[in-house]
Amino acid sequence: MNTVLLLSLIGTVLVVLLSAMLLSIRTYQKSLVRNAANNSRRTIAQVSNTVNDYLNSIDTDMAILTESLESPEVDRDEFFDVFLKIRPDVIAVSTYDSYGKLANCYSLFDVRSDLEVNTSFNPYKMDDYAEGYVSAPHVVSLFEGAYPWVVTVISPLDVGGRERWIALDISCSNISAYINDVGIGQRGYCFLMDTDGNIVYHPQQQLIYSDLKSEDTDLISALEDGDHIDGSVIYTIQTLKNTHWKVIGVSYVQEIITDSVWELGRILLIAAFVILVAMLIISTILSRALSRPVQGLAEAMEQFEQNAGDFTYTPVGGVREVRTLSESFSHMVIRLQSLMGTVKDEQVNLRKTELRALQAQINPHFLYNTLDSISWMTERGKKEEVVEMVNALARLFRISISKGHELIPIRSELQHAESYLQIQSHRYKNQFSYSFDVDDECLDYLCNKITLQPIIENAIYHGINGLVDGGEITVSVKQDGGDIVMAVEDNGNGMNEDQITAIMNKDRSDHTGIGIKNVNDRLKIYFGQDYGLTIKSVLDEGTRVIIRMPKVKEESEYEK
Amino acid sequence: MRSKRIIIALMLILSLLFTGCSYRNRDNDSRYNIWLIVKSTDTQFWLSAFAGANAAKAEYNVDLTIVGPETEEDYEKQNEYIEQAVSEGADAIVFSAISYSENAAAIDAAARAGVKIIVIDSDVDSQNVSARIGTDNVQAGMMTGSAVLDTDDDEICVGIVNFAQGTRNGQEREEGLRGSLEDDPRVKKIYMVNVASTPEAAELGAEELLNDHPDINVLVGLNEPLAVGTGRAVVDLGVSEEVRVVGFDTNLECVELMRDGAVSALIAQNPYAMGYLGVESAWKVLEGESFDPNTWIDTATTIITHDNMFSQESQQALFSFS
Repeated sequence: MNTVLLLSLIGTVLVVLLSAMLLSIRTYQKSLVRNAANNSRRTIAQVSNTVNDYLNSIDTDMAILTESLESPEVDRDEFFDVFLKIRPDVIAVSTYDSYGKLANCYSLFDVRSDLEVNTSFNPYKMDDYAEGYVSAPHVVSLFEGAYPWVVTVISPLDVGGRERWIALDISCSNISAYINDVGIGQRGYCFLMDTDGNIVYHPQQQLIYSDLKSEDTDLISALEDGDHIDGSVIYTIQTLKNTHWKVIGVSYVQEIITDSVWELGRILLIAAFVILVAMLIISTILSRALSRPVQGLAEAMEQFEQNAGDFTYTPVGGVREVRTLSESFSHMVIRLQSLMGTVKDEQVNLRKTELRALQAQINPHFLYNTLDSISWMTERGKKEEVVEMVNALARLFRISISKGHELIPIRSELQHAESYLQIQSHRYKNQFSYSFDVDDECLDYLCNKITLQPIIENAIYHGINGLVDGGEITVSVKQDGGDIVMAVEDNGNGMNEDQITAIMNKDRSDHTGIGIKNVNDRLKIYFGQDYGLTIKSVLDEGTRVIIRMPKVKEESEYEK
Repeated sequence: MRSKRIIIALMLILSLLFTGCSYRNRDNDSRYNIWLIVKSTDTQFWLSAFAGANAAKAEYNVDLTIVGPETEEDYEKQNEYIEQAVSEGADAIVFSAISYSENAAAIDAAARAGVKIIVIDSDVDSQNVSARIGTDNVQAGMMTGSAVLDTDDDEICVGIVNFAQGTRNGQEREEGLRGSLEDDPRVKKIYMVNVASTPEAAELGAEELLNDHPDINVLVGLNEPLAVGTGRAVVDLGVSEEVRVVGFDTNLECVELMRDGAVSALIAQNPYAMGYLGVESAWKVLEGESFDPNTWIDTATTIITHDNMFSQESQQALFSFS
């Protein structure tokens, strides 16, 4: 399987899925937060109304009590007794004179006779009391053996007499009933705070008093009415009319939202998983259908590129497109191979035609030099030698032609070479001697005609010619495994590297007869790149030309 | 093959995510069963602790059983309660030991049965306690000492009324108290009596102490009933002018005596916090959180005197909000 392809697919899908997930969760979360805030606002509005109503009712009470203070002492006691019994949330009603000294105190508890400290009324704060006042929660210090927590509501009095202030100590019980059971979301709650940031009533008041809980009152008192989202907490604040109390709703984004978001996230994750699995399956199928065959095709193409001739193509499977591609490639391979064959054949044919044309030519210099020698010999009356020369020349030409065959038996090739050497040794007045070293088993194998002659010619012209001492030319034919190795060796001047390269690469400049390059080319064309001609030469010592060819019995094996 | 490994890893991650998603809340059937076993059930101190424990119970949605013996000496009853808690399948016991040594075996047995142990207020000699919560009693003893020394008298003779000798927090308070008294040259004598932890026993003990040693000018009651008893003794003998009383905890009777001047200072512990934190910590331990059991989680202690008893802080420390 293609790892890169697979990983990139998985990566893409995951990225898309995750961003979709995040986006939808964010949107969902936002709407949930908005809902939660709305919900919280509604709840707080309700609580505010209730508390407001309660405070209004206390105002009404205050008015009634104020009125009753004008009635005679006896009626007054009776009235307060009844009032306190029907209003258990009112712990005490007390009045104070202009110095802030306790004038009267009505309560169902036993009022202390010696009052050292009064937590309900502070004479030094009478300026604050003038507009009406609601205290922070405190313990009432007026009674014997009872210390209830209350808030005190204080109003100025204008009823004549020495009483100037009326103070109601109101138990937190009613307020707690309004506040305690208010739930916002799963864990949200609300509490009362005054504008100075003191907590008036909190459902977990004792936890706050025991330093086990705290509210960030500094933060909250700085906030205005409305919703405020602070991290995972939603604060909803509403200030009560006509008092300096605020109702604060606290709810948690996390718990309201997290559960829903988790649920959504879970669904999305499952979807992601399903999609991922589906994608894996699809990618496997795709890989089977597309990537693997394409890869196979690519490999096949590479092989074809490296070795076009011997390549055989096995078509690959896969999707329709790939199959079409594969078939086309298959056709192309066959077509290319046949084209290549044609080109090669044409090349070979061309060379052969060229060769035949060349072979048909007789080096005119050689011919007239030989004829010149013959005529000269005749003049001298050397009848025997003339006969020998003419015979050799005739044999030379007969073998050259060989009825148009390219491959002739090595025996004939050796006769050809010998005839040539005979003629040349006459011409060069026995300047050199020659010898043959032939393995008889080789004689019946075939070789290209006129293979040895150009090499001997080269040995005579470039090796022996001009030598003072007698030259020596040896022609040998040996077997080497499945090959025939022919060698022409002389003890002449030898050649340097440049000369060897020139001979191996140049056609003859006079365009007559056959050059060494030509011999080499023919061997290679007929027998392949493993065969051919190699030259080893040492200056002033001699040259050895080696010809390697396979053992060939039938011309038809190579004749095309 | 690499790609296969990657795929397997991906699947594993995804399946982990699923299980992570599906594991969320404990349902109601598997609420933790927590027992609060204390020294007695009728002092204001313990009532306040129960209120705190109940607040935590509501907040953490646990089942809470509160028990305690009738007298603060009955450690055997406490051991019975421990066994009962174990047999009734308690997940955690929040425990205040009457006896540092005699409760240890029962607590160890409970811990071996897999019950988590949280100590509040008074320690027990066990290595199996998960968390310890309460007053730093040596510190509270030193605070008592400073209240005793807060006087213009040139000579101070102290009478200490302490409770059962086996109870750890009493020993620690006494240790702290004696430590702070020793350094002061004004302290001439320290007398000592150990009584049962009831107001009546304390009153008798204190009266005896006062009769035997008329030079005593400060009496110390080292817990709530003892503070009440010593206060009563001083009032009954009519020596409240001569003998100051330094008490512990916020019994209403003591508060009244303090208003009258018979009690000059009270060391107010925070029993509500002990109850609350005890149950809360039990829940946390059961949820896998861990505490250092050798470090006490200190609940605040306040000195309250006649002069500051109606300050906002003192009101909050003295009078429970209900």
